Formats: sequence, structure tokens, C-alpha cells
Amino acid sequence: MKMLKLAAYVASASLLVACGSDDKDSVSAESRLLETNAQIAYAVYTDSVSTAKSLQTALSTFKASPTDANLEAAKKAWLVAREPYGQSEAFRFRDGPIDNETNGPEGDLNAWPLGEALIDYVNATGNDFDEETAVIANSAGINSNGSVDGTVADQNIVQSIVTIDADLFDGNSATNADESDVITGYHAIEFLLWGQDLNASASVTDGTDRETAIKTNDFNHGGQRLLTDFTSDDDADRRHLYLEVVVAKLITDLESVQAEWAPNADNHRADFVDTSDATATTNKLTTIVQSMGTMAYGELAGERMAVAYDGNSQEDEHSCFSDNTHRDVWLNAEGVSNIYYGDYAGYDSNQDGVDDITTNQVSGYGFDDYLNDKGLSNLNSQISTALTNTETQYKLLDTAATDNDQPFDVLIMTDNHSDTNPVLTTINALKAQSNGFIEMAEELNLGTVTVTDSTEAFD
Amino acid sequence: MYLHSVFSKPGIARLVLLLSITILTACDKQSSSVAPAFNSSEWKPGGNTTIPTSNKIRFDLPAANLSPPLKTDFHAGKALAQQPWIKAPTATDSRDGLGPLYNARTCMACHVNGGKGSTPNNPSEELFSSLIRFSIPGENKTLGVTPHPAYGDQVQSQSTSLAHQLRHIPSAQNIAKDVKPEAYIFINWTEKNIQYPDGTNITLKSPSPVFKNLGYGEVGKNTLVSLRTAPSIHGMGLIELIPQNQLDALTDAHDKNQDGISGRTNQVWDSVKQETVPGRFGLKANKATLALTVAGAFANDLGISNPLARSQPCTDLQITCLKAATGNDENGFELNQSQLDRVIFFNQNLAPVAARNLDQKEVIAGRELFYETGCQNCHQPNFKTGPSKTLPHLANQTIWPYSDFLLHDMGKELADNRPDFTANGQEWRTPPLWGVGLRTKVNRSTALLHDGRADTIEEAILWHSGEALKAKKDFMKLKQKDRDNLILFVESI
Repeated sequence: MKMLKLAAYVASASLLVACGSDDKDSVSAESRLLETNAQIAYAVYTDSVSTAKSLQTALSTFKASPTDANLEAAKKAWLVAREPYGQSEAFRFRDGPIDNETNGPEGDLNAWPLGEALIDYVNATGNDFDEETAVIANSAGINSNGSVDGTVADQNIVQSIVTIDADLFDGNSATNADESDVITGYHAIEFLLWGQDLNASASVTDGTDRETAIKTNDFNHGGQRLLTDFTSDDDADRRHLYLEVVVAKLITDLESVQAEWAPNADNHRADFVDTSDATATTNKLTTIVQSMGTMAYGELAGERMAVAYDGNSQEDEHSCFSDNTHRDVWLNAEGVSNIYYGDYAGYDSNQDGVDDITTNQVSGYGFDDYLNDKGLSNLNSQISTALTNTETQYKLLDTAATDNDQPFDVLIMTDNHSDTNPVLTTINALKAQSNGFIEMAEELNLGTVTVTDSTEAFD
Repeated sequence: MYLHSVFSKPGIARLVLLLSITILTACDKQSSSVAPAFNSSEWKPGGNTTIPTSNKIRFDLPAANLSPPLKTDFHAGKALAQQPWIKAPTATDSRDGLGPLYNARTCMACHVNGGKGSTPNNPSEELFSSLIRFSIPGENKTLGVTPHPAYGDQVQSQSTSLAHQLRHIPSAQNIAKDVKPEAYIFINWTEKNIQYPDGTNITLKSPSPVFKNLGYGEVGKNTLVSLRTAPSIHGMGLIELIPQNQLDALTDAHDKNQDGISGRTNQVWDSVKQETVPGRFGLKANKATLALTVAGAFANDLGISNPLARSQPCTDLQITCLKAATGNDENGFELNQSQLDRVIFFNQNLAPVAARNLDQKEVIAGRELFYETGCQNCHQPNFKTGPSKTLPHLANQTIWPYSDFLLHDMGKELADNRPDFTANGQEWRTPPLWGVGLRTKVNRSTALLHDGRADTIEEAILWHSGEALKAKKDFMKLKQKDRDNLILFVESI
């Protein structure tokens, strides 16, 4: 924890009682570390569930009364729902409830690139079709003569006759091997609310001319789906229905993860906080550090940022419809920091940089405390400095998007590449921070952890 | 760090001791060891690129000596090989352009964790990480085969059509498939019994594909059909750097040494150089370079056009496929040159994994038997990679892939009877054996041989015939314990 707080003492005290220990002093540092970690997990997934439910309410209000104001309210609810979820991603890459190979729902919650062309109409770049069909999107099929033909059944879900219900995702989702398009999760909702992130003229970007992002709760940026898609359009009802089905699944999936972290239950948490086997306990700590490093470096700095930056690839941008990627970066990095410090401050309901919803706040025993208790306070200082630098950089990224009209997809444009580009400086800060985690694992005799690749996580 | 943990163990000393004992014993029997003296480099099949065995054994990890700055390039390439490609159109030119016909939406969907694909044992399970090649009789200087007029030279079982994507949904059955998948493929298995001279029985199984929902007409009686399981992809950059003269030295096209083993190079078209060159990649050594292998797989397996394989995976008869949206950029590519370069770089830097147990008594005995039965005549144990300006860390490495990368007649039963460039219908390229014992740890695939028919090393050996007949027979004559030891050695390298 960053600062000792009374609440933390209370938490520790109740922990002692819960463990039924004979000797109060016998609660190990490892046990406290794992207990805090579990508390943060439960808190952040609880907030993820409640914000997803608020999103569901907003979508249902929008369906009942499809006005501009209610569309904006739904978009805002989506943005807020991302705030705790983004922080929760630090619990990935450790074979935990969110993404274990057996039934972890992560792929259904947050996978991208989204298969948007299968969900609803999209505009195409001029390169996407040959000349005769260049202006046509995918809202019509192609007949056997090779002509685009409105009489051929529509080739996306919303505009076709396919029944929209939960069965759509049963056997067709990201968790189903690799045979399916991603058609569900946060980004499916994002696509239906915002639509494609086209230029102001509604033209498709050619990779050199992307325009501004959302500002804080300002919806004149990102995709500009027309309200009529939800009112007078032939498929308006089907769009509402799609949203309804996807958000219901989102909540179910989040609740399944939340339940695994609930206290006093026969679940993942019960095994996780059990420190009776010393070897297993050490392995758990190793896995946590591996997970923190992998999230920060392999996943965030690598797949989520470097790939998009190197290739000027908007499709690799995390939240490419809403232009909310600067928040994803912030939240992912903050989630890792939360675990390091053993703190969870809550979430930010208006994107002003302050976590104002503090109902499920946690302030506990983190790796900073653990390092200090092990006589490694210098290493703690070193890592804290690195984390602070990461925070400085991702805040610059956030400022660029919200104050300077330079969202992530503009920053990654090749012409904007420079040594001071906040995408690049954040990538480098995350790498440096991860080197600290590697050293921490070594100094704590947790073994060698590799963090460069999210697929290198423990199986 | 890793060098210390793996190579400073007392095993080496013990091994030397054991070897001496073996040799002494052998001398007592008035014979000498056939196998060459153990070389400590055998612990590191990929030389300095070798990664240690750890709790996550995979074939998609970077070479141990890849410098940290270059790891970023490796992972950028990996992301392109691993993240799903999606249906065009989308708002941007990146990441879209899947299909319209395809086998998988990512490279790693079939090369799971860098390892092999599989062939379903259950006849009602659709083929996924293996594929079928088609052609019709006739030669073709640049393609190697004459593609099937309707299906091309590869059957793509997936399409971007909504009806196919949602084929598990009843209400999607009535949507017209604007681009029909070429066929859904299932595998029927035929079993046969083999008996060892010592009376031990073993059942082998061989696959025959069944085509359902053919999208573009009958297959045709003259069509040549070949089932191929996705191979593992580690060590490719090292294989690429084996000097051609080292491979040429192993050829014996007319079996002048009369050991029953010929060994030929396939002569294949290099579309970059615009000339015929020796091939070494692909199950029939029908690919000239690693770059063309990767580019060809993108174009044909994923339907992603790129500078080295420009066309969409549609034949002239597949009109809706030809007219469907592409993900092309302004240069007409779905994967541009710099992206392709990164994926090639990723492939070049995939690390072989350290050998295991080479100091154990049974494995040492198995090693001796490997050489006694002549396995090494095709599974050429080691090479030294040549120089490289662009990949200096892969250069001048002693590597142990256990393959001569040449074509050999493997007999009628393994034959696909589908010639490819100068490879005839009974010839296959010797597959490397490095890491084969790790295959089920890498992913769940047990599949061995080109079509995944063998689940174990033993089954794979028993399918050997043709030029490998003598070696196979010698293996079969061994005592059970000796056979087990030989297999243990193969599982350890």
C-alpha cells in the first residue's frame, strides 16, 4: 500500500480472525499479499459487474426512448463500464477465472479486432472492392454473376434474417478455438453505439488523415453512427435487440468471474489464498509477477500499443470505434500498479482523472510492502519510480487525446511518429517497469519470469 | 543463466562415464559402436538459439540469443501471425481481408503454439488444422502442380459468408451463401494390423478424406488428393541457413552407394528470383524459400494477399469469391511488405527447445540403436549453419535437426501420388525430428507424418517403407526393450 491506513489494519485484523490462526503473528506476508490481491480482484470485478448493469439499464432506456440524449447516455455508460474492467485486466495471464483455458470468458468479453462486417453495415475503403462496386458496403450480398445484389440475402447479422438471441454466441465466439469472428463483448456494443470511426466528412480514413477523438464525455468524436439507425431504419429494432443480447452475456460472463473471487466460497479465491503449501504459495507469487509483467509489457506495450504504432494500424487500436484507447492504456497500466501497491482506489465515473467511485476501495498489503519487509526497499523505490514514470507517460497520452485532439489513432499515424510521441514513451516506460518486475522475481527467489509475450504466460 | 542451469549439470560427466562403459561392453562383444561419440552440442539442437525446457514448452518462443531490441520485431511479427484476421470491409486496410475463402483466420490457429496441427480421430468432426491439396495430372513449371480448375490447389473449408459463419444457428440456414466454402471435410480411418517378428501386434490407421457440401461441383475422378497436417514451425531460420552444398552432399539420386536410399533435391520455382532452385521447405520440399512459404500460407490458408503471393484464393470459376470485398491497401495487398517481413522474421527466430535425458542409460542405448538401424541416413543429425549478415545470431551454429531435407520414396502406403515439381507421388521430404518428443506438451496434437496418421513415434516408424524399408525392418527385429529405447532417444532430441 502506498500509505498505511487504518482501514488496512482493520482488514489485516479481520483476516487474522478469518484464518482462525492460533498465533496472530503467524499470518505470513505471503498470505497477506495473496489476500489483498484477492480483495482487489473481487472489488474490481464487482465494479465491472455493476457498471455493466448500468450500461444495460442505459441501453434499455435508449431502446424505450431512442433519443440523441439517451444514445449519449448509453455511450457514457459504456465508457464508465470500461473504467473498472480496464483495471481488472491485470488479473489476466495467470490461468485465473478470467482467462483460464477451460472456461475463462475473456475472449467473449474483450476480444478484438471485432468482426464488425459480420455484425452490421460498414463503409469500405476504395480499395476494398473493385471499381464497379467501390461505393457499396456489405449490406447486400453478391449474386452468382458477381454483382452486388440487394435481393441476395444480407450478409451481416443485423441486416439479415438471423434470429438474434444468446444462441448466436454459443459456439461462435472468440473462446471457441479460432474458427469464429469476434461478434460479442464490449467492442460489439461499442461498434453498435458509435459505428465506424470515419472522418468528419464520413469518408473512410486512408491511414494518413484520421481526425480527432472523443474528449471527456464529448461525443463529437470517434464513430458517428446516426440516430436513425435506432429509430426509423428498417433494422432499428434488431440493433436494439443485438445490444440487449450482447450486454446480457457481458453481465453473465463478468458475474461468473466475480463469483470465483467472492470471499468465503468454494471457488478460485479459496484455493488462491491458501498458503498451506509453501511451494504452491511461491508459485502463486511467481505467477502474479509474471502476470503483471506480461500485462504491462507483452500485452499492453506490445500487442496493444507497439503493433498499432509500428504498423499505423487503426484496426489494432483497442477501442477503435469510440477512440477511447487512451483510457484503455491508462486503465491497464493502473491495474498493474494496483496489484503492485496492493491498492484499488475505485473507478473514474467522468474521466476527469480521479477515481471518484470508491465504494469498493481496497488498501492492503502489496509488493511494495513485501519488498520493504524483505529488506529490499531499494528495489521497491526503483520500481515505484518506474511506475510513476509510466503514470506520467500515460497521462500525457490521455492529455493528447482529450485536450489536444491527438487521440491514439492520430498519434500512431506515421507522420506523427517521434521520440516524444506519448505512445512510444508509454511503451518504453512499460518496458522499463517490467524489467523491475523481472528483477523483483529474482530478488524474491520467485524464479525467472518472462514478460515479453502475452502468450508466454504460464499455462 | 540458462547455460548454467542446463549445461553445467553433472550429467555430462556421467554421460561420458556411461558412454565409456557402453563402448567397453561393446568391445567385449567384438563389435564397436556405430554411433558417433556424443557431442555436448546435442543438448542444444538449435545451437545458441536453443531455449531451455521450462514449465511452458512451446515452439513459438524467440531464439534464446535474440537481442532485446529485435524481440520487439519478433513479437510484432507474432501478433500478425496470431491475432485473427477479419472479414473485409472494415474502416481501415489493416487486419481485414480474411478469405473470402480460407482455412483459418490466423497462422497459429493450426500451428498451435508453433506445434503441429492434428487430424480428427472422430469421423464426425470437421477437419481443421490439416488441409487437402488438389491438383489434376500435368506439369507446371512455376506452380509445381496443375491446380484443379474449380477448387485450385488447396481446398478451403471456410468462407466469410454469414451463413457459413453462423452455420450452427438454425435461422442462418436460409441465408444465401454469397461465397460458398469449398467443402466440409471429414476423415474416415481404416485400420490394419502389423506384427513384429517377436509376435507383438500393433494397429495402424490410415485416413481417407470425405468431402461434404462441395461448393463448386464434383471433385472429379482424375483429381489428385493429398491430406496435409500443419507442420511445426520452430527452427526455420536455422534450416534456411544450412548451406545448400551441405544438402547437395547428401544427395544420391541414383543410389550409387547402393544403400537403398537415394535422396534427391526437389527443383522448384522461385518466383522472386524467377528461376528454378532447390527446395527445402514444405512437406515435399516444394518451397524455394522461407519467405515464399510464409507468403504462400498467408495467401492460401488465410486468404491474405501480399507482395509475394498477390492473388485472392479464388479460381476463375469462383465468381462470388473474386467479386467479394478485399482488405487491399492502395498497393493491392492485405498484408504489406513490412508486415510480411515481420512475420518472416518471426518465423526465422522461432527457437528449438533443449534436448532432454540424453545422459540417461536407456536414451544412450537408444541413440546407439538409432544409428545402428540407419535412421540417420535420412534423418541427418547435424549441420553447421552458414554466415548471415542479416541474422548473425543464427549464423555458424551447430544444429541438430535430424533431417537431410531431401526427398525420399517412402513407399506406396504413404504415397499421395500427387507429384509436385520434381517430387514424384511417392516422395516426401524427411521431416526434422528435433523437438518431436515435446509435441504433446506444445499442444495437444499427437499427429505425426504428413497426414497425421501416426499418433506415436512407433507408429510413424512402422509406416516407413520404400527407401526406409530396411531401417524399418531392422527396427522391427529389435527386442521390445531396444525398440523402446530407440523411441526414447527420438523423444529426447
